Amino acid sequence: MRKFIISIALTLVVAVPASAQKINLDFPGLADRAEEVVDITLDGAMLRMAAKFFSGKDADERALRDMISGLHGIYVRSYEFAREGEYDRNLPNLVKKQLGPSWMPFVTVRSKSKENVNIYANMSGERVIGLVIIAAEPREFTVVNINGPIDMDRLAALEGQFGIPEFSKEKNDE
Amino acid sequence: MNEHDLKRALRAEAPPAGFAGRVMQRIEAGETQPRPSRNAPQWWRAAAASVTLAMVLGGYATHKAVEYRRGIEAKEQVLEAMRITSEKVRYAQQEVRAIGTHD
Repeated sequence: MRKFIISIALTLVVAVPASAQKINLDFPGLADRAEEVVDITLDGAMLRMAAKFFSGKDADERALRDMISGLHGIYVRSYEFAREGEYDRNLPNLVKKQLGPSWMPFVTVRSKSKENVNIYANMSGERVIGLVIIAAEPREFTVVNINGPIDMDRLAALEGQFGIPEFSKEKNDE
Repeated sequence: MNEHDLKRALRAEAPPAGFAGRVMQRIEAGETQPRPSRNAPQWWRAAAASVTLAMVLGGYATHKAVEYRRGIEAKEQVLEAMRITSEKVRYAQQEVRAIGTHD
């Protein structure tokens, strides 16, 4: 009986952080007011399906394929508005409130005139097992949620490919 | 129908002359009723098998085509998601770098 209770407790301990990764990205009515909407929902099955369509021969595609193969989901919501003030500026807080204690702020950029960006990482020990990016500017609101183990080295290796900006080259140029 | 009619209808009648002989002759000659041809339904079976095969292959091809389309769409979505993600990360990185330069 004791073993049973311990196993149930362990299951709950493991299951709660796993379920905590799932973030509600539904913003009712927001898409109706937006001029442009990007709504991407890719669960684990879809990512595995997409991974089959990345070439194993091309090194760049192989790197991206390997990266997404281990992910549990990629969710993107991006809304672009015709005018300022079309969305509730409290929306970023609604997303932040959902992040549990394992989520650490990675980067916070606050700008009065430009874009506010918050990047949070879900940490399991030293491993990043989730990423949330909240970007809010006067006429645009974007949230990205990546679930699953993220290899930052692999992510960095994608720079300059598939239209993904090349950070390190820019850094070297400066 | 009364009892008399019934009796008349059911009364035993002798077969016509030579009936038994004719029956025995036919048996000896191996004459039997013509059997329905076994070849007749075979074209029908082949056609049914062809249609079934065509349906199975067609269904499989359609399934593969739908799966291919969904896979290509998923790949495009991955690329779009990565483009948006890296755009925001790059902006954050630039801002952090700019603050570092001011210091």
